[in-house]
Amino acid sequence: MAGIMVTLTAVVFPLHGGDVRAPSAVFNQIFEVFLLLGTAVGVVVVAYTMYHALKYRDDGSEEDPYADKVERPEMGEMPTGGTGGRKVFYSFSISAIIVVSLIAWTYSQLLYIEQGPDPAQEEALEIDVEGYRFGWDFIYPNGHTTNTLRVPQDRVVRLRVTSTDVFHNFGIPELRVKTDAVPGQHTSAWFTANETGTYTAKCYELCGSGHSLMTTEVIVMPQDEYENWYAETEGPTETETAANETGGGDHQIAPATVGGAPA
Amino acid sequence: MSQEHEHGLPPKSSVSRWFLTTNHKDIGVLYLITALFFLLFGGVLALLFRLELITSGADLLGSMGYNQAVSTHGLLMVFWFISPFAFGFANYLVPLQIGADDLAFPRLNALSYWLYLFSGILMGVSFFQGTTFAGGWTMYAPLNTPAYIPGEGLGATSVVLALIMFTAAVTLGSVNFLTTMYRMRAEGLRMRDIPIFSLSINLTVWMMLFAFAALLAALMILASDHILGTTYFQYSIDGTTMATDADNPGASLLWAHLFWFFGHPEVYIVFFPALGVMAECFQTFTGRRLVGRKWFIISMVLVALQSFVVWMHHMFLTGINLPIKTIFMATTIGISLPFDLMVFSLIYTMAKGRVRFTTPFLFSLGALILFIIGGITGVFLGAIVLDYQFRGTYWVVAHFHYVMVSGATALFGGLYYWYPKITGKMYNQTLGKIQFGVYFLGFNLLYFPMFLAWETPRRVFVYPEGLQIWHSMATVGGFVLGASFLIMFYNLFVSLWRGEDVGPNPWEYATSAEWAVSSPPALENFPGVPSYATGKLEFLDDETVAERTEGTPGAAAHGHAATDGGTATDGGAVTARAAATATAMEPAHEVGGEEHASHASFWPFLVSLAGFVTFLGLSGVRTGSVFYLSLATVGGIGTFGSLLGMTREPFHAPEMAIAERWPFERVEKMKLGMWTFLASDIVLFGAFIGSYAFVRVAYGWTAWHHDLIPAEHVTMPGLINTYLLLTSSFLVVIAMVAAERESKRGTVAALVGTFALGVGFLINKGLEWQHLFHIHTEAFPNGWNLSTNIASSTFYLTTGLHGAHVTIGLIICAYMTVRAWNGAYQGDDRAIEYFGLYWHFVDIVWLFLFPLFYIL
Amino acid sequence: MDWKGYTVIYVVLFAFATAQAVVEFTGLVDSAYWVAFALIMVLSVVKAVGVAAYYQHLRWEPRAVTYLVLGGTVAALALTGAAAYSIL
Repeated sequence: MAGIMVTLTAVVFPLHGGDVRAPSAVFNQIFEVFLLLGTAVGVVVVAYTMYHALKYRDDGSEEDPYADKVERPEMGEMPTGGTGGRKVFYSFSISAIIVVSLIAWTYSQLLYIEQGPDPAQEEALEIDVEGYRFGWDFIYPNGHTTNTLRVPQDRVVRLRVTSTDVFHNFGIPELRVKTDAVPGQHTSAWFTANETGTYTAKCYELCGSGHSLMTTEVIVMPQDEYENWYAETEGPTETETAANETGGGDHQIAPATVGGAPA
Repeated sequence: MSQEHEHGLPPKSSVSRWFLTTNHKDIGVLYLITALFFLLFGGVLALLFRLELITSGADLLGSMGYNQAVSTHGLLMVFWFISPFAFGFANYLVPLQIGADDLAFPRLNALSYWLYLFSGILMGVSFFQGTTFAGGWTMYAPLNTPAYIPGEGLGATSVVLALIMFTAAVTLGSVNFLTTMYRMRAEGLRMRDIPIFSLSINLTVWMMLFAFAALLAALMILASDHILGTTYFQYSIDGTTMATDADNPGASLLWAHLFWFFGHPEVYIVFFPALGVMAECFQTFTGRRLVGRKWFIISMVLVALQSFVVWMHHMFLTGINLPIKTIFMATTIGISLPFDLMVFSLIYTMAKGRVRFTTPFLFSLGALILFIIGGITGVFLGAIVLDYQFRGTYWVVAHFHYVMVSGATALFGGLYYWYPKITGKMYNQTLGKIQFGVYFLGFNLLYFPMFLAWETPRRVFVYPEGLQIWHSMATVGGFVLGASFLIMFYNLFVSLWRGEDVGPNPWEYATSAEWAVSSPPALENFPGVPSYATGKLEFLDDETVAERTEGTPGAAAHGHAATDGGTATDGGAVTARAAATATAMEPAHEVGGEEHASHASFWPFLVSLAGFVTFLGLSGVRTGSVFYLSLATVGGIGTFGSLLGMTREPFHAPEMAIAERWPFERVEKMKLGMWTFLASDIVLFGAFIGSYAFVRVAYGWTAWHHDLIPAEHVTMPGLINTYLLLTSSFLVVIAMVAAERESKRGTVAALVGTFALGVGFLINKGLEWQHLFHIHTEAFPNGWNLSTNIASSTFYLTTGLHGAHVTIGLIICAYMTVRAWNGAYQGDDRAIEYFGLYWHFVDIVWLFLFPLFYIL
Repeated sequence: MDWKGYTVIYVVLFAFATAQAVVEFTGLVDSAYWVAFALIMVLSVVKAVGVAAYYQHLRWEPRAVTYLVLGGTVAALALTGAAAYSIL
């Protein structure tokens, strides 16, 4: 199925038709599992703590109910450990297994987020993002620069992010894409939106007086509308816009040379 | 005790006592009170911006006011409140718990405190210099450089300088605590046997020693960017913005690396003392020994070690490569596991106990529960996919407040636990419990909604309407939490007068030595020399000590310490061999013959005051203002003068006659102090060299030399300086040999030679710099100065820091030459040896600077 | 250690410093940079160890003092190495 899609779209346009797992889906799944387990573990451990605290509370009786089982500490003794260490290990082992397996499980997902979807579908829309105080420039393959990010639905969008002044962080919370915008460095991130609509991109690193207001619109459009819009845009090398767009991969093969010199 | 005396200190009711004191208990109290003041300071700022956040928008503080409030709140709480609060307890209790009569260097301890206080005052002053620092407590570059700070930015510079001053206090404190704990433990007390609170402090100061050195490097570089015009943290130096062909592309990440290399150990530096307090309170109030104590300790050691290899988990989105992210993810999970063990150890300590819900126990238990929540939400952040999305959001804010403030919660428990010890009075338990109730409610009302509103970006005052309910709740919680402190302050304050007197030990099942002595303890702490040799705390009387130490010189470091009437235990006796000055930077000197030397010293206060004036002046020198220039000059002279005064003041803190000293039995305390200091200096220079390596790698290692460095920058001056320093090092060891052979002439000649070579080194460097400043070549038409490019910045600043070390060495060398001329050191070369340790270290640093900055 | 021993160390240090400069003057830095780099850094490390072991007497101190120094060194190297590697 995916294979057929790829062959088709490579010729016409690189739509993935929604079968690329979006970063937001990855995040939501992991987050849900963590929330569920985290809450469960939290409730159990806190309850267990309270159980011990209350069960063994001093009821004020003269006699020590555990006098035959444990030795009470005495003033001036050399500090030593109490008995009962085995239980600590059992509990520790259980918690260690939960933590390690959870993180290990997410690692494969991390590789997916890092590398992006299947390499055959790498004909993504590449957009350079430049943060500045206090806004964002989006530079399209044709050199068109805008402050509003417009992307087509169901297409992998790769962002190459940097900053022209201070340290920012570019994030679109609803689409679960985020990366630092570091002056002098480039970072990358990708996302895909399965639904059209207007989202908000925000800055997630304090960057000065306008930080709180450093937001911008992200508009996810149907593919054809996007193409129409893109055809209208002016780029320095743009001559026949329609051909360029349906040509799909042409200008995306070497996107790094557009909109910014190599790092 | 055979005799009561106050070491020349005025009574506690006298104000002057508190300026003069060098006693660890007095200083502990000063730390506690000062830290609580900064809690109020940071807390009021937090209430201000929580009020701002009750609805969306910056209608109360304005955007810059808001940014300043959040930034300084973070700085004040992390630096000026929580750690110093813990170190109030550490000062008071560590000597008591390990059986020492004071810290190893009492005057140095006072200096730490005063530097801390004045650094906080400088922080406060920064609010009145236009605007204070507004770039967040993490101070990311390049927003932390003057180019991006509105106005003159003097307030921001003051904050950087205040942090440097604070770091100086911490470094001195670390050296002091480590020396104390390795040289002054009661007999029979192995390192693993010391009470768990002291053990947590031991690991904390180890982390401090190295982590704060890295922070010091970062701050010194930043201060240099502010004041001298270097360009470490600016990615482009001509004032324009060039994101793509920047000449310092590593600028921002350099700060992130340096800051987080410090910043992550800092989390444990803050939390460990709290963990120690929790463990103490759990043991006492459950009537059980800590279950799995050995593993608890091993866990803490592991965390302390690992804390230095997890820092990049704060930088997962900065574009660092995948292998390093994977490594740091693994180390991060690794570091969470020991905490699981510690939590379970605390839980099982309650089993079969006699749990008494006193105020301190409520706070400890509360802290444990909050920490469990903080820990679980931290595991979320360990999954990088989640971390990417939590980055810069309230999830992080909520998580670290649950962790950090749970630490603070435990420390408040500590305040209730040791208050009777410190004051001799008991507070009202009911009010204490009420405070806990209000506190716990306020805490969770404040921080839990932040998890629910986690989509809010950090440090913004605008948020979606749907989240308003949570933010309003948090604001209410903040005020509830704040109000709970009114109860605490009232309770503790009133109890000073109305509280019932307590005996030595108000808590059943308390075991550690502080509870075996009166409340508050006598000035010299113990009614004899504490010993655990029999497995139980005992106090040896003077005769036993005298007997034990006579004839068996190996048993104690200084065989005849107790021979002069057996008064070695009261800390006032002076023996010929046990003299030492309090300042690690300065050589030991001996002014024999003074019995019962005073332990009152005004110099630590004066040094810090003068340092404060200097730094305040430095914050504004770049404006050329006469006011600031004169402040800096006056302060500089004052600092130098008061340091000299402090060095010349006779002050003796003899080593203990009998003590456990593994693994430093044969390393006298001055020497150990010096080595410890040098270890932190290694990290300081290491971080400078590391910064150089990092920005050079970011630029392109080999292109660097060709692009940025003029051909006029040749090897020869560096080679000559290498020869000069090597020869001067040689002369220092010759001075030692001469002193040992009691050749006064030889000693003086060798020291003069050292001095002359050092001066030659500086002159040669000065000539070289002059030349480079004023070259006119095609590539560098305006000379090659500090601001020319990143290579020149690294060259001048790194070798400049080294030059400053040489200069300090020369001052000490001059001082010692004069003393040698007057006949000192003959037959006892230790002072020269300690100076030599420093001087050779400076030499070693040059051995690396020379190839890195001249050849390669 | 007596003055003769110290003198021997001094001569060795002097020679090694000269050797570093010689590496540069022979042009090795230009022709085979990384070979020269390794050579020069190794010489520096040897010199540093010499000074620490003999002039600072680490050889004769308890090993714990050496570990203390190594602790600081390892921390600094970890910072330098890992930070530089992270951006490669």
